[in-house]
Amino acid sequence: MPSLKSLPIAGQQKLWRSVDEHATPPAPARELGPSTPPDDATSRRNVLQLLGASAALATLGGCLKQPDEKILPYTKQPPEITPGNPLHYATASLIDGRATGLLVTANEGRPTKVEGNPEHPSSRGAVGHLEQAEVLRLYDPQRLKVVQNRAVARSWRDFLQAAVYQARGLRLRQGEGLRFLLEPNSSPLIGQLRQRLRDTFPRARFSTWSAVPLQHIHDGAQLAFGAAYETRLDLSQASVVLSLDSDLLAALPGTLPAMAAWAEKRDPSRGPMGRLYAVETNLTVTGMNADHRLRLKPTELQRFGLALLGRLGALVPALSPYAILTQRFALAPPAAKFADALARDLVKAGRGALVSVGPRQPPALHAAAHAINTALGSACAKLAQPVLHDMDAGPRTLRQLTEEMRSGAVDTLVITAWNPVYGAPADLNFSKALSLVPHSVYRTLHYDETADRAEWVIPSLHPLESWGDARAHDGTVTFQQPLISPLYGGATEAEVLAAFLGEGDRSAYVQLRELWQSRQPDGFAMRWEKWLGDGFIEGTATKAETPAVRHDQILAAAVQVPPSDPATPGLQVNVVPDYRIWDGRFGNVAWLQEFPDPVNKLTWGNAAQISPETARKLGVAQNDGVDLGLRGTPVHASVVIEPGHADDCVTVSMGYGRRGDGEALCRGLGFDVSALRSSEAPWFGPGLSVTRMGRKAPVAQTQEHHSMEGRLIAALTTLPKLKETSEELAEHRGPTLTAHRPHEYPGYKWGMAIDLSRCTGCSSCMVACVSENNIPVVGREQVIKSREMHWLRVDRYFVGDDLGNPGVVFQPLACVHCEFAPCEYVCPVNATVHSDEGLNEMVYNRCIGTRYCSNNCPYKVRRFNFFSYTSNYGDIEKMVFNPDVTVRARGVMEKCTYCVQRIERARIRTRLEERRIRDGELRTACQQACPAEAIVFGDLNDPSSKVRKLHREERSYDLLHELGTRPRTAYLARVMNPNPELAS
Amino acid sequence: MTESALDARARLEPPRLIQGEHDDGTLNKTLNDFVWRAPPPGWFTLLLIGMAGTGVLFFAISVTLAYGIGMWGNNIPVGWAFGIINFVWWIGIGHAGTLISAILLLFQQKWRTSINRFAEAMTIFAVMQAGLFPVLHTGRPWFAYWMIPYPTVQSVWPQFKSPLMWDVFAVSTYFTTSLLFWYIGLIPDLASLRDATYSRRARRIYGIFALGWRGSARHWHHYKIAYLLLAGLATPLVLSVHTIVSWDFALSILPGWHTTIFPPYFVAGAVFSGFAMVLTLIIPARRYMGLKHVVTERHLDNMAKVMLCTGLIVAYGYVMEHFAAWYSGNLYEEHVFFSTRPRGPYAWAYFTQMFCNVVVPQIFWLRWARRNIWTLWVGAVLVNVGMWFERFNIIVTSLHQDFIPSNWAMYYPTWVDFSLLFGTICFFGTLFLLFLKYLPAVAVAEVKELNHELHGDRPYSGGPHA
Repeated sequence: MPSLKSLPIAGQQKLWRSVDEHATPPAPARELGPSTPPDDATSRRNVLQLLGASAALATLGGCLKQPDEKILPYTKQPPEITPGNPLHYATASLIDGRATGLLVTANEGRPTKVEGNPEHPSSRGAVGHLEQAEVLRLYDPQRLKVVQNRAVARSWRDFLQAAVYQARGLRLRQGEGLRFLLEPNSSPLIGQLRQRLRDTFPRARFSTWSAVPLQHIHDGAQLAFGAAYETRLDLSQASVVLSLDSDLLAALPGTLPAMAAWAEKRDPSRGPMGRLYAVETNLTVTGMNADHRLRLKPTELQRFGLALLGRLGALVPALSPYAILTQRFALAPPAAKFADALARDLVKAGRGALVSVGPRQPPALHAAAHAINTALGSACAKLAQPVLHDMDAGPRTLRQLTEEMRSGAVDTLVITAWNPVYGAPADLNFSKALSLVPHSVYRTLHYDETADRAEWVIPSLHPLESWGDARAHDGTVTFQQPLISPLYGGATEAEVLAAFLGEGDRSAYVQLRELWQSRQPDGFAMRWEKWLGDGFIEGTATKAETPAVRHDQILAAAVQVPPSDPATPGLQVNVVPDYRIWDGRFGNVAWLQEFPDPVNKLTWGNAAQISPETARKLGVAQNDGVDLGLRGTPVHASVVIEPGHADDCVTVSMGYGRRGDGEALCRGLGFDVSALRSSEAPWFGPGLSVTRMGRKAPVAQTQEHHSMEGRLIAALTTLPKLKETSEELAEHRGPTLTAHRPHEYPGYKWGMAIDLSRCTGCSSCMVACVSENNIPVVGREQVIKSREMHWLRVDRYFVGDDLGNPGVVFQPLACVHCEFAPCEYVCPVNATVHSDEGLNEMVYNRCIGTRYCSNNCPYKVRRFNFFSYTSNYGDIEKMVFNPDVTVRARGVMEKCTYCVQRIERARIRTRLEERRIRDGELRTACQQACPAEAIVFGDLNDPSSKVRKLHREERSYDLLHELGTRPRTAYLARVMNPNPELAS
Repeated sequence: MTESALDARARLEPPRLIQGEHDDGTLNKTLNDFVWRAPPPGWFTLLLIGMAGTGVLFFAISVTLAYGIGMWGNNIPVGWAFGIINFVWWIGIGHAGTLISAILLLFQQKWRTSINRFAEAMTIFAVMQAGLFPVLHTGRPWFAYWMIPYPTVQSVWPQFKSPLMWDVFAVSTYFTTSLLFWYIGLIPDLASLRDATYSRRARRIYGIFALGWRGSARHWHHYKIAYLLLAGLATPLVLSVHTIVSWDFALSILPGWHTTIFPPYFVAGAVFSGFAMVLTLIIPARRYMGLKHVVTERHLDNMAKVMLCTGLIVAYGYVMEHFAAWYSGNLYEEHVFFSTRPRGPYAWAYFTQMFCNVVVPQIFWLRWARRNIWTLWVGAVLVNVGMWFERFNIIVTSLHQDFIPSNWAMYYPTWVDFSLLFGTICFFGTLFLLFLKYLPAVAVAEVKELNHELHGDRPYSGGPHA
């Protein structure tokens, strides 16, 4: 059974966990600059010494009092370690408090790959881009490594002493002046700690902060039901879905099951297709998938929703009081037509109808959606108690806290929320207020903006180093278990909170185990093993409830909404969380910086996104530098013109413009939007001025041409035209005339099928591919030069003549493994060759880098190592590499291999069992991550394989079939399901 | 009356190939004069510039080797750019030498004798520049020898289906043959220099390279046979080298590359640019080296005619490319020839190419333009520029927008790219200046032979050798 102590330890100070066990006095205080280089062991010799030392210490385990913290592998794996064979462990990642169950692959004790936990309700085997990048965040060499007190290095023990001393004083005052600023959290352990802290310090207060606040969801539920409820989506029953600024198809926390369910509704061969309407300002992943999309200025969204409620009032008896809203909120003709058709479609859908509202929208709109969903008897929107301890997380609570801090009422502030100094709206001036607090503690992964102003800065343990628990989106209790002994030392949130209870020496593991032992004492040891093995406790999902809707309250709130905006000069600003780095917490993760936004293909920074029409009005062009001014100092931004964006408003994404010293990777990229946010209007508002700076400020986009030029690249059709399209597509598949001699494939014949109808463009597959195949990150300048290395890219095209409201189609594209590959015959040294299973193989050792193969590849999926992109990796960073995949050298071509290392592993396994590889047993990394199951891989020689069936589907076609390359990846045309009423 | 009739007739006669009355002695003296003279300050200045530029070249090469191809502007989709453009450009320039020395010899074009040495030297130096790029442009140049078929312990052979493989053979054969041809032609003149010098060291060096030439009848007999054989050997190479270079493109499936007209059109283009380069160099050289009596206006006129002719073939090639693209109805071909090139972001390069290669040579229909050295020189330089841009358009413009629009991207050269182009021009110039100083720039023995043919025997007026 692997235990923590048997895992390799690099550069870790021993015994940081427990006060008593410190044999030596704390190290002399040492002045530390915020960017003091780590004392990590860099030479091979040092690492070996440490390995030896740790092994020796492990054998002396009996002499040391460090508790034995056993982590348990995923149930389906053998429990013993065989060198060379990876192990899988179930754990979880948390974003804003909700857990997504993960299965993490560990090679010789180092986690290398994050995958979804197939049994976990929030994952079902799929995984988003943020979760997958956790593994790189773990090995970030810029992580904070030591406890600091005002920039002086201290030990954990020093902190504990200070905390105990502080707590003693606070206890005498009943906790007067003690404040906690926590992240949104659903952990039962943290819940218990909060309760105990409240008991000990009755006057202490807890606030919750997230830069992506959930306050409006909370207020909306309060308005609709008089109590806190949250909507749990179940799209398996959906037929008509309206997304009001709700990005429910993006691979963001809590949406993975919804994506999987919706994908089933987009496959025309699987029963009636669902229909998606989207009303939003900026084009989102969900908007790109909508059959009908209406773009509105951000402040108009609420009125649209209420006008829709009014229309439904005329159609649904239960909503009849709302009928007056139609009059009150008059819509412009196109929006009115949209709303009319939508209302009828929703009513027709009945139980299959769903109105989903995004967290940025005002409470009245959330309440209106609750009214509609309840009145239509929607089976897709289930109401349940919130899994978070505190949904009321947002500027309101932060303002209260800031006022207290400024008035001197706060004596001790414990912050575990992510970087409030950076993320708080500018008008709160949280930074100033924090410097007024005499005692502050901040737990963080990096030395960021908040760390600069806190008294104590505690390094945070990475989730893959931590013990903990949390609830999934449906309430299922999920466990976090560490995959690796802490790289640099640090503490979990529970340990920091426990310090104030005088229990700082009790590790998170002990706390967690004791909590669950007290809750389930019978047969605990057995249960514990099963829970850790599974990663969660089965049957702990919270029940759906049917609270009564307070229609009178909703109506009262609705009529409070002004029927039109007061006339204000300027444009509207529209702030959104960044798809790649969320609120900025993933800013230092290179994979995500280089991960292109699925909509605008932007990397390494944010931009002022505007519609083509607004750009024309402002006289700005793509890449123009502009000043965005609202109240305070203007920020410098680059213009990115985004078809499908609403006119007269500018969308900016959060998380950039970082100033923290400890995050060199993201420092200085993009601009900080907090100056454009206020606590009153954290998301959108009028009065934005856009001034041209008169110079170019180029952005790094991975795709610069957005039209298919009338070529059959990503096939797009509609349900009524499907038959016609299928006939056309028949010419685009099957054998072509060729002068080549066909190959024989007696054994396996690998192939892939990608269903463009299921694909939502979320791009999670790209990060999976990067992680699996050791794909290097090249940086902003290289992306601008068009040298990104992604083996798999997701192309996005706009279709239609109306740039203002275009259709969108996307296409994941990696090497298609041609049977008659144009790359193979032009290589002068035989470095790219055809295998007898149809793989187009790249022999890195043999490649001399003429790049002829890439020139002759019509798909341009080959990537070239223009520089040595991996030679500067430190010892810690190298731990992220997948040992099964070669790290490529400078001057070598590379490309998708169909995850040949996985094929070989499966081959070894099945050969030992003397059988063939079964369909579905072997999955490529992209396929495994895909939440929509749009990617299918398998053996085309196997008559029952799924991929073979898909290759023969009427929607399937070969990309650039006329070239006669015979690609092994087939695409299935994307089918839209427009409402006949709205189809023009 | 008689007088004027004679004058009129003289005007119709082509100018004589050797101007003035010369015997072997005066030819020896005038043609080898530059070797004996102390070089003029202008030569030193140019040499200094050339060597400085060569320094830039070697710096740029070092940077490329140290950091990788990333120092160039290449990207995906534009995998080839300046490196291959320069390669094809230099190889093309190298074509004039072989054509003049071999094909014109076989066709017994007398006028070739005054310029063949010059053109052959240019060929060798141009191929040397060209030869740098196939190695340099690979990602791992230290393994470039894997392109050579040799029995290795890896038991992996090169891919014989790849045109790059054929390039290795074509270019190396071409360089070897050109070098041999040039050297064989030099032997009598080296002997002449050996015999005329007063410096011991020069005598020894020239003596070694003259291979004991004594000018006996037997020597001449063998020499003539060897020279003719090499000419026969070199003749197919004139056609083959650039044909194979064009296959680097024509065998791919990329629109703009995948064209059957490429081999003849490339060969014509090569001769076109080669003659342009000969003219570019010989016009100043004949003036400053006092060679006007052997490199006459008639020579320049002939070269201009060759340029005009090959230029027309090239123009025909352009027309046919566009016609084929239109006639095929192929979406991708049409996009390259009617959208990307004339209307895309590199349209300026396309129109530069068309102006320099199609419009400019038309002026050489006019006799005065062929005889006016300024017009001729400017025209020749423009043709060189135009031919460089032709390769730019073929390579970069075709690559930057191909089949799948999502991967389209712009290519911008870096300082290293420009340094390599500029540096090879300087390196070429340096080698050329050294050649002019230390070797007879005109094939003296052949000119003397021609002089005898034209004028019969004249009394000997001095000088050690005939």
